[in-house]
Amino acid sequence: MSFFNKYVKKYWKLFCVAVLFLAVESLCDLLQPTMMSKVIDVGVAQSRMDQVLHYGGLMLLITAVGAVSASTRNIISSHVSQRFGAEMRSDLFRKIQSLSFEDMDKFDRASLITRLTNDVTQVQNFVNGMMRFFVKAPLLCVGSLIMAIRLDVHLSLVLAVVVPVVAVLIVLNMKIGFPFFIRVQRALDKVNGVMREYLSGVRVVKAFNRFDYEVGKFESANTELSSRSVLSMRVMSVFGPGISLFLNFGIIAVLWIGGIRVDNGQMQVGSIIAFINYMTQMLFSLMMISNVFNMFVRAKASAGRIGEVFAEGSGLDHGGQSAAKRVTQHGRIDFEQVSFSYAGTQGDPVIRDFTLTCLPGETVGIIGSTGSGKSTLVSLIPRFYDASEGCVKVAGTDVRDMDPHALREMIAVVPQKIMLFTGTVEDNLKWGKEDASQDEMEEACRIAEAHDFIMASPEGYASRIGQGGVNFSGGQKQRLSIARALVKKPEILILDDCTSAVDVATEARIKEALRTYASELTCILIAQRITSVMDADRIVVMDRGEMVGTGTHEELMETCRVYQEIYQSQMGKEMHQHAAE
Amino acid sequence: MPQNEAAQAQQAPPPGAPGPAGRPGGMMRGPGSGGMGRGKPVKPKNFRRTMGRLWRYFGRERKLLSLIMVFIIIDAGVTLIGPFLIGKSIDAMSANHGRVAFDLLQSFIIVLATAYITDVVLVFLQGWLMAGVSQRIVAGLRRSLFQKLQKLPVSYFDARSHGEVMSRLTNDIDNVSQTVSQSTTQLMAGGIAIIGSLVMMIVLSPILTLASLITVPILYLLTRTVTRKTSVLFKEQQVQLGMLNGHIEETISGIEVVKAFNHEHQAINEFETVNGRLFEVGLKAQIRSGFMMPLMNVINNIGFAAVALVGGILAVKSLITVGVIASFLSYSRQFVRPLNDLANIYNLLQSGVAGAERVFEVLDEREEPDDLPDAVRLDRTKGHVVFENVSFGYRPEVPILKKVSFESKPGTSTALVGPTGAGKTTIVNLLTRFYDVTGGSIQIDGVDIRHYTRDSLRRTFGIVLQDTYLFSGTIKENIKYGKPDATDEEIREAAVMANADVFIRRLPDGYETELSENGGNLSQGQRQLLAITRVILAKPSILILDEATSSIDTRTELHIQDALLQIMKDRTTFIIAHRLNTIREADNIMVIDHGEIVEQGSHDELIGRQGFYARMFESQFKNLESAGE
Repeated sequence: MSFFNKYVKKYWKLFCVAVLFLAVESLCDLLQPTMMSKVIDVGVAQSRMDQVLHYGGLMLLITAVGAVSASTRNIISSHVSQRFGAEMRSDLFRKIQSLSFEDMDKFDRASLITRLTNDVTQVQNFVNGMMRFFVKAPLLCVGSLIMAIRLDVHLSLVLAVVVPVVAVLIVLNMKIGFPFFIRVQRALDKVNGVMREYLSGVRVVKAFNRFDYEVGKFESANTELSSRSVLSMRVMSVFGPGISLFLNFGIIAVLWIGGIRVDNGQMQVGSIIAFINYMTQMLFSLMMISNVFNMFVRAKASAGRIGEVFAEGSGLDHGGQSAAKRVTQHGRIDFEQVSFSYAGTQGDPVIRDFTLTCLPGETVGIIGSTGSGKSTLVSLIPRFYDASEGCVKVAGTDVRDMDPHALREMIAVVPQKIMLFTGTVEDNLKWGKEDASQDEMEEACRIAEAHDFIMASPEGYASRIGQGGVNFSGGQKQRLSIARALVKKPEILILDDCTSAVDVATEARIKEALRTYASELTCILIAQRITSVMDADRIVVMDRGEMVGTGTHEELMETCRVYQEIYQSQMGKEMHQHAAE
Repeated sequence: MPQNEAAQAQQAPPPGAPGPAGRPGGMMRGPGSGGMGRGKPVKPKNFRRTMGRLWRYFGRERKLLSLIMVFIIIDAGVTLIGPFLIGKSIDAMSANHGRVAFDLLQSFIIVLATAYITDVVLVFLQGWLMAGVSQRIVAGLRRSLFQKLQKLPVSYFDARSHGEVMSRLTNDIDNVSQTVSQSTTQLMAGGIAIIGSLVMMIVLSPILTLASLITVPILYLLTRTVTRKTSVLFKEQQVQLGMLNGHIEETISGIEVVKAFNHEHQAINEFETVNGRLFEVGLKAQIRSGFMMPLMNVINNIGFAAVALVGGILAVKSLITVGVIASFLSYSRQFVRPLNDLANIYNLLQSGVAGAERVFEVLDEREEPDDLPDAVRLDRTKGHVVFENVSFGYRPEVPILKKVSFESKPGTSTALVGPTGAGKTTIVNLLTRFYDVTGGSIQIDGVDIRHYTRDSLRRTFGIVLQDTYLFSGTIKENIKYGKPDATDEEIREAAVMANADVFIRRLPDGYETELSENGGNLSQGQRQLLAITRVILAKPSILILDEATSSIDTRTELHIQDALLQIMKDRTTFIIAHRLNTIREADNIMVIDHGEIVEQGSHDELIGRQGFYARMFESQFKNLESAGE
């Protein structure tokens, strides 16, 4: 857990100060039973009022000192733990933002979210707890032990038996409890998983009428969670009473042995009361320790999960050349014998030995069957993934040598899957360019054929886009997504089958407008329909991860069998019939 | 005295210690605790009513709960005997001027040992039973919430973020769980301890009782002010946590876009803003609540000193024995500690009830209206579908469909075309009763669809939706989703028909390949093939294809279309598509624009009419034609 060092370095001083105050606080707690016994033994037993007042006053003074240090400690520890938690959460968030997709794919998205929220909270709570109890409990425990021994060595023999037994119980508690906690946590994940799936697939569930099945799935997860929780709670319910039983029997032993010693005149009654008080305090602090241990066990699991994320490669490392320096040709893209497989998958690579150069001002269409690697191919350009073999160059520089930030500054992507964010239409458009003016936004929206429907809704550009987003249809959201990319005015524009839900007439208008917009840019256009790519400067045909043809529409119609098939499949009958009319 | 402290210690772990349930956030209500992701301020609106409602969930557990209550009462009694006996034992040592009355001491000790053992057994039984009771109650609550979700209309899910609904099922129920498993017993035990201690104190010495009660009003006032202030802060903290959670969830789910747009910096800035607010509030809440303990300590010790002082005076005057002082001090501690705890429990209870309230909010949501009492099952349909003056809008002020009327004869196919946002998908939503019409009616076989049971109605349809959704599990399980008892042979057949068999068999584990969350390891098109296979296998009476093939390449689509034509034969079919070649075979094509049918007829008729459709068709094929020549 080396990621912890940073915070240790930063906070250890304050932490120590807090512990110091905690020690004073504990000391005051410790002195109390002694003062108490003095009140009784010196004051009450000897009928001396002044002594009662004296020790009583002293006791209050000690309490006041304890309270002051407790309050100081509270302020310090609150600062440290809150600051630490906020900082760690922020570091983790930054870390996740900097992870490459390859690294991020190792985690479930949902699990990353949990790590940022619940797991950080766990660790933060533990750090706070440490400053409140962790030191105090052992201090109180050892202190009580010492004070008790000082009171009467013979009686302490009882402690020599009780303390080890309790220690063993606490260790057992921790050892046995840990696996149970982990299992509860996993069961909880599962319940959340079933739930998440149901929420995303609610239409399918309803369409297929599979409520019973879903409820069944949920029930089994739910039952598992509750039975595991019960089990872990029950296991824990053995240890608490066990610990108190042993200490209470210790008290009985003290009463009996103490009785003998008082009888022999070796000891005073007040000391017995104090001794029992100390034992009680020990019991209390031992309970605290066992709780702190439980907390530690959980925080440890969480810290482990956080550590896993921090341990991932430091994002994308790059050769450090700033993009601007070696730019020879803005917007040029080269694929040089690129092969790619997703990490941890077997079988054929998704992309095999792919070579292609796209020049500025050029529009390159990519067409190919489902799963032929089109989307994967373009995800190599903004360096979402790194090529397994060969290299991808942008503006003449290997993308691995470029600052990813500068690289992505040049590129705008319209992904296949629409992802808009909570906020207004305007907020979403400004993702492309933070300081975009209303004119710029409108211009982009006009090209994307989005302006009209945005204006048609009562709030216009201030219309809110919710997660469910009933307010915009699939095709409208796609057009917003296109507009967002256009606002950016990039050097490279990647459109990944982003008009699949847009009707043909609208698409044709968008394409027409794009032609002017993209005249200076490199534009990569992935599509299913030949009509979408046919007027591209060049069309690349992909099949099973390989380039099986490249050229203009006419050339491909002559030379590329796959392209002809695609053409036939789309035109086939229509063409003939339509032509016949 | 010791035994009660022990019991207290394990029933109420010190603040900051985790609750026994092993949940994150445990019972701690310290800053930074509690589930993240609550979207709304934690604030019970109607404490008493919600409590009453929650109590109903205790239902069958009430017997066991009463048993636990009995245990607690007995245990409280036993616990109260402890300090009394210790005091007596001490008296037995000191009463006789240095001579210890061993016979007395012995009998006290035996009773004490019995009490301790009884206490342990009772505490253990309490914990054991309570674990079962609380978890069953919570599981029940979770179950009814999930079942409720099954009954909610699609509009409920469309209008809310998943994170928010999720958080109700996890964080809020977790809160309830903590309340149920801990606060209830603690409350009972605490109350009994207070009353018991007070009684014993009065019995022992009314004067000393008065002395020790001096601190109670101060304690009460203090607790009230502190908790009132902090509970506001804690609520505010939960709001900030919820906001942070929302931001995190969205940024991480959409990380592709965040990165593509170099938006990491802004995302981090936004995060920092919320994180900073959370820090501010958290710090305030923690410091404020942290003062509670030392203040309590001071006041307790004042009480302690007062008792010692007054006790000392009384003892000096031989009005009471030293032993009485000893046991009295224990009792006064026992009296004060639960008071202290009760303040914390009250906070806990508040947030638990707030959680329950949020859960009940979902339970109170309007469900999909029940089937009409005279609703009939739609078992074998001819597939005669009629829309009569159907009007609909997701929001009343924005009508999507305006008086749409049409008829689909049994076994025919109807295609819906038109610009995006024209209302095509809405027609499907209405047909399947994901939403109900706001005007007019939809009839199948001459009967308004609201007169069929919803269950049988939906069983009639086979729908391939625009966004395919796959569940985690194997490919086979996903295909079987619409027909759980399908044989491997049938599955294979359906897959071959949908042209999915080829790619499935190419996967390392074939039909047994595990899909990750929403089939992330397949391409969009492959997922759609699976969705089509799913429907082919289900063999529905009426088929709905909503942009079913938009992400599939056209060569594959040709093959599928053959398959689809097969299953469309003799089935009423609705096709939504914007690729016009996929719909030209349809018997009837309806062109929808701005919520109205502007044209309908067969492909040839519509082309002949030279209207909207013809223009759309032209624009689509103009280019290709010229290219093909």
